[in-house]
Amino acid sequence: MLAVGIDIGSLTTKAVVMNEGQLLASEVSNTLDEAETSALVAMTGALEKAGADDSPEKCVITTGAGGKAVSFANRTKAITTCLARGISWHDPAIRAVIDIGAESSTVVKINDRGRVTDWANHDKCAAGTGIFLQQMAKLMKLSFEEMSELSRNAKKGAEITGTCAVFAESEVISHVHRVPPTPMPDIILGIYLSVSSRIKTMCKRIGAGENLAVSGGVALNTGLVETLEKELGQRIFVPKDPVFVAALGAAVLAEEEMQKGIQ
Amino acid sequence: MTIAKTSNKINSIVRACRIILSMIESDPNARESQKKYYHMLLKYYTRLRDARENNQFIAAHTVFFPAEIILAMDLVPMHTETTTWMTSLFTGECSDLLAAGARMGMATEICAPHRGMAGAFACGAIPKPDVMVWSNMVCDNTAKSGELVMDICDCPGFFLDRPFKDSPLEKAYMADEIRDMIAFLEAQSGKKMDYDRLSEVMERTDRQIQLVREVNELRKNIPTPFSPLGFLELLTIDYLFPGQPESIDYLVTLKQELEQAVKEKKGAVPNERFRLMTLFIPPMYLMAFLEKLAAQTGAVSVIEPFFTFWGEGKLDPSHPVESVVEKAYMIPETRMYGPLGTSALDAIKKCACDWKVDGAVYYADVGCRHSCATIKLFKDALADVDVPVLTLDCDVVDQTVTSEDEVREKMERFLELLEDR
Repeated sequence: MLAVGIDIGSLTTKAVVMNEGQLLASEVSNTLDEAETSALVAMTGALEKAGADDSPEKCVITTGAGGKAVSFANRTKAITTCLARGISWHDPAIRAVIDIGAESSTVVKINDRGRVTDWANHDKCAAGTGIFLQQMAKLMKLSFEEMSELSRNAKKGAEITGTCAVFAESEVISHVHRVPPTPMPDIILGIYLSVSSRIKTMCKRIGAGENLAVSGGVALNTGLVETLEKELGQRIFVPKDPVFVAALGAAVLAEEEMQKGIQ
Repeated sequence: MTIAKTSNKINSIVRACRIILSMIESDPNARESQKKYYHMLLKYYTRLRDARENNQFIAAHTVFFPAEIILAMDLVPMHTETTTWMTSLFTGECSDLLAAGARMGMATEICAPHRGMAGAFACGAIPKPDVMVWSNMVCDNTAKSGELVMDICDCPGFFLDRPFKDSPLEKAYMADEIRDMIAFLEAQSGKKMDYDRLSEVMERTDRQIQLVREVNELRKNIPTPFSPLGFLELLTIDYLFPGQPESIDYLVTLKQELEQAVKEKKGAVPNERFRLMTLFIPPMYLMAFLEKLAAQTGAVSVIEPFFTFWGEGKLDPSHPVESVVEKAYMIPETRMYGPLGTSALDAIKKCACDWKVDGAVYYADVGCRHSCATIKLFKDALADVDVPVLTLDCDVVDQTVTSEDEVREKMERFLELLEDR
């Protein structure tokens, strides 16, 4: 019997297939209008990769924004619980995971059993989220890789607000058009610092101090992770395929459910 | 062109009370105490609605003001913030009142019950009072709201100053303030204060406080016998009916019902799973949803350190004015708003342990700067006794701050955290 975890995010849907603690396959696809279809597409892809597309027996746990709308799911779990389980599967020593998704950012504090003890999230504004970074990259006509690369040459981060994505965009435009213009690396570092300050506040709020990890698509933005590390004064663990952490956690939970005999 | 006039909110509350009462009275499982509670509300708001017609003197007052004085003088009280809440609770929303407040230039960051209250007076949704009396008893927002109501309603007013600390000298100062305020009310209403009557009222207030303590003792039982958000009844009883015979009757009935439920091991929800501590007031417009959620998830509020958990102390009704002062320093809310010492932190830790609390829900009312400033302190204090806290950004009446879906999602996440521990 296979364990399937599906994380339905606002932009992408991720699915992970596990068997007896082993990760067999994963798949990411665009989130469609219907959560059910999105989940089915991602799950089918992951099952195919695992060579188990006709497996009739599986326990499916969904999470994320559309998790509850999936009729074939055995259970739906909170994203916080899934992030905790997923990151603990990678490294049980992790005590907090910073998840920067497309439309929200969350910090989850975890105990030594991979259980959530507290969390803080920011979902009222795009500031500090993946969409914000994407918007900034588009504005400066740069890829995330180019942004990361350039940020390493910054002398001083430009002043950019961390409270409102719209104002931040205006500030970036004003930095670009200033005479002389603010150097691009400084603007990029300023953007990273603005995201980092939000994350730092959330970490402080819940007392997430050490053994930190980062997940979500934004974890692949190496420049941002380096800035976060400097701001938080420590190395941050980036798991392999950070985008799948919540889906992986859902799969781990599916295995737990199977062990309890609940389907 | 016809300009739509905001409906009479007092009339709406009266109508809603009547409908609820008829529903409760035809429900064989309804609590007798609940019937009494709604009869009290109906009486309160009917009296207020008809006050003008009956040539009665209306004294508007803000939250935590000692309403015993107004009731002892047989004036018609109007608890301003509670009236805004009731509008939201019974009519589902009060956006028209908040919009009226906004038209007066009141920013959305201002406490919504005060915004709504100002809007309600300005657009004629609630009757203009003959006097406005207010205090800094617990909440400093009211210190400004009273002046605003005086302006809008063009009525005289009196600000009752409660000193921050509670030394004998400061208490004596407050007693003098109360005497001045009584003199003001006498001059304005033409009615004399009957101090014997005030003594009787304060005696009943003391009994009322004791009964709430006894009700809370019963709530310690597992499963807890009182409804998930029933504490709001206790709160309203203190706000609107302090020292009234009906309050004693309600509380005695409630206590008997809870004793019976404990004897029968009957819980307030079918399957009690999570015992919660409630910090601050849930959004009124989500009450039906929150009650339903509680029944579905088995999460029930068992104690509220800042609303129903009265500290030690007894009032001495033979000195009625001084007993009003004593009560002012005993009010549970003063722990949150007053000098925030170890007593507040010790109180929530004690509540968490004595009521076997699994988790706490902090309804962080964005307009209430006082309470929001305490979130971290209370969260840290509760961490000492291993009680997680959910902080839910919301507003007591303003629906634009948070949605039902957001509350559900965060509440479910939190309950999952508790279950998973």
